[in-house]
Amino acid sequence: MGEIILTMKGIDKSFPGVHALDHVNLEIRKGEVLALMGENGAGKSTLMKVLTGIYKKDSGTITYEGKEVEFENPRAAQDAGVVIVHQELNMLSHLTVAQNIFIGREIMNGKMIDDAKMNEESIKLFQKLNIEIDPTEMMGNLTVGKQQMCEIAKAISHDAKVIVFDEPSAALTEAEIEELFKIIRDLKKKGLGIVYISHRMDEIKVITDRVTVMRDGTYVGTLITKDCTKDDIINMMVGRVIYEDPKAASTVPKDAPIVLKVEHLNAGKMVRDVSFELRKGEILGFSGLMGAGRTETARALFGADPKESGDIYINGKKVEIKDPMDAVKNGIGYLSEDRKRFGIVVGKSVAENTTMAALQNFMKGLFINKKKEDQVSWDYVKSLKTKTPTVETEVVNLSGGNQQKVVIAKWLTRDCDILIFDEPTRGIDVGAKSEIYTLMNELVAQGKSIIMISSEMTEILRMSDRIVVMCEGRKTGELDISEATQENIMHMATQRK
Amino acid sequence: MQGAAIRLDGAKAGGKDIKLGGRKVEKIKQNPIVKKIGFNRIVLVGVLILMYLLFGALCAIKGRASFFNISHIYSALNYAYFLGFLALGVTFVIATGGIDFSIGPVMFCSALVSGYMLMQMDVPLIVCLLVSILVGTLFGVLNGYLVAYLDMPSFITSMASMMLAKGIGSVFTKTQSVIWPQASQENGWYRSLVKIGSGTSIIPTGLVIFIIASIICAIVLNKTKAGRYILCLGSNKEAVRLSGVDVKKWEALAYILCGMLAGIAAIFYVGAYTTVQPGLGDTFNNEAIASCVMGGTSMAGGIASIGGTFIGVLIISILQVGILAAGFQIDLQYVITGIIVLVAVYADIRSRKRRN
Repeated sequence: MGEIILTMKGIDKSFPGVHALDHVNLEIRKGEVLALMGENGAGKSTLMKVLTGIYKKDSGTITYEGKEVEFENPRAAQDAGVVIVHQELNMLSHLTVAQNIFIGREIMNGKMIDDAKMNEESIKLFQKLNIEIDPTEMMGNLTVGKQQMCEIAKAISHDAKVIVFDEPSAALTEAEIEELFKIIRDLKKKGLGIVYISHRMDEIKVITDRVTVMRDGTYVGTLITKDCTKDDIINMMVGRVIYEDPKAASTVPKDAPIVLKVEHLNAGKMVRDVSFELRKGEILGFSGLMGAGRTETARALFGADPKESGDIYINGKKVEIKDPMDAVKNGIGYLSEDRKRFGIVVGKSVAENTTMAALQNFMKGLFINKKKEDQVSWDYVKSLKTKTPTVETEVVNLSGGNQQKVVIAKWLTRDCDILIFDEPTRGIDVGAKSEIYTLMNELVAQGKSIIMISSEMTEILRMSDRIVVMCEGRKTGELDISEATQENIMHMATQRK
Repeated sequence: MQGAAIRLDGAKAGGKDIKLGGRKVEKIKQNPIVKKIGFNRIVLVGVLILMYLLFGALCAIKGRASFFNISHIYSALNYAYFLGFLALGVTFVIATGGIDFSIGPVMFCSALVSGYMLMQMDVPLIVCLLVSILVGTLFGVLNGYLVAYLDMPSFITSMASMMLAKGIGSVFTKTQSVIWPQASQENGWYRSLVKIGSGTSIIPTGLVIFIIASIICAIVLNKTKAGRYILCLGSNKEAVRLSGVDVKKWEALAYILCGMLAGIAAIFYVGAYTTVQPGLGDTFNNEAIASCVMGGTSMAGGIASIGGTFIGVLIISILQVGILAAGFQIDLQYVITGIIVLVAVYADIRSRKRRN
């Protein structure tokens, strides 16, 4: 076990009205990967922001390499060797890889920027990481995985001694995650202290040495990873046991009517000749690697993006879907993977979001019937167990899981029969996750039909009745849940042309 | 936002900690009356009264005629009417997250075109008044179509239509000023829409109309589908579009309302001042937008307050009249308005940061 490089002790931080961190402790050691876990809102990100100087702590001490420190800003932390690789990549897509890596401290040749030298230095950095990226490539042309590698290269170029990874794998494919782990193991060997924040249990078991768990802004405890089980960690996080068993067989009767039929859908590079059927009461899983074209397929089907060709039949009748208005009229609701941008209006209340798609049903003459709106919204708050003090609360104040429930309430208020869940539990903590699953199962039991796009294999296997697998814009396979395994799904998902 | 929160679960009264998404949220204690009216608006009314008293003191110190004279209130109100209609309209546009820099010149264009028709072409007055509203509305349709349906940025679009409005007004009148008839002259009855200072009636018709118009706008913004969608799309247009809402229609409607109100503003402008010169009007954009921002309407869209705009208009009007009455150079008004706008925008940005 390596020597301690950084200690945070009794860290306390309050925001107006929120006690975000309550005397939290953390210990980072050289040559070790420390997992930092907790439900959303547990305070992980806040703690890391305090560490890297984005927020000022109210009290507590940070000891780094034997000295007490307080970083004024992220730049000061970087210079000292404490860097963070953010969940959302901070990249300028119209600059080259090398220009991104050296942004803010460009290598100069007199008064001019020396691009050639920066390219050279970038190649050296990539060699250290054993990765191959062309430093003259535009950042925007790289895959998310490659962009993240650049971010890591940027981090080590600061002579980092402590690197914090904030949910690095959220947007990566399985292969890219493998590569990321290789790099992390490498960095570990070199004696760096690494903090790894993730919601994915499997990864924690594979890559980390110790696990520190937080809950509601407090420090719960630290475990040695190899001595504990998944359930141990989850118990510390939520105080309850959750089992994730895959579904054994489809619950949809063989003769269930086909509610949606998509034929030869084409839209851009990412949707090529996609056809599938959805039955009443079915959860149709869409699996595939990142960039397989699943979200694009859903958006083209929903009319959010223009499509080139393809026929859509609802309950056997051909329909024309040019924009989301047509889709909604035909009873399709879309729950985006990016809730804050595409799902909810964060500055508006729970009630306003709930009735967003069905406001015409809440009119009394020219005016909105506020009483009915609040009543219906409150009914959904109760039946979906949304945690919100009132229906007038702005959605921005709710956690990810509760925001997702508000989006679900929106489509239920509209009485949609076909719901497209795009990554329904992304960024949602474990407890709320299983509530969302229960909800989805209730919905199909009531005769709704669900298309569920998910990058989490366990989610696909647990929820789906049937699975469509895509790769690079094409449908590469379809499986009944009884015959689906991780292996054969992955096989289809990597079946390139 | 508007009004007090409706608390359906009763038990959790203000002041107590409540659990929200796993975090403790301490509800700040608030006086229910303050909450209902809104803290901002109380401050604004305070500013309005203070400003009135300040100019009173300045006039007294400088030995000028007393500011506490009804005639000053009359001229402030005359200014408030047309400015008010401009500001009410642009509140809707700003609520969508857009901006309209054409309203002042559009108002002048309406007044010029309809006035020219009245004076030079012998078109009946009532038709001319309708033409005035129509011209404004057409500019609104143009702006709305370009911004909402062709996705053009509202800033540059409205700059271009400002040029159009100025140019059309000048070309139509052959660069002549238009002088609308006096109250005593034939066709002068339109001036009784304003009717303050003319003496015959004590009812300030203009004020009554302005208040009614403000109430209607507040109802449209807060109680109707149009207002709801305008505010929501100002906050997150893409999310509203993906809810199957015809966002283009509602966004365009905000500009059309704004143009129509600019057309109505033209009637109140000539009602107060009778003379319209071509090629002007830009300063009123700034004053109208300043009134909105001061009143708590967020330039980022999604948040708007008609009540705030109403008081903002009064503040600008008092400022305009007060500066003249106290014997300062009129341009000082721009300095003060500029400072007020900067403070208001800064406050808006601060409160946004706090909320996130």
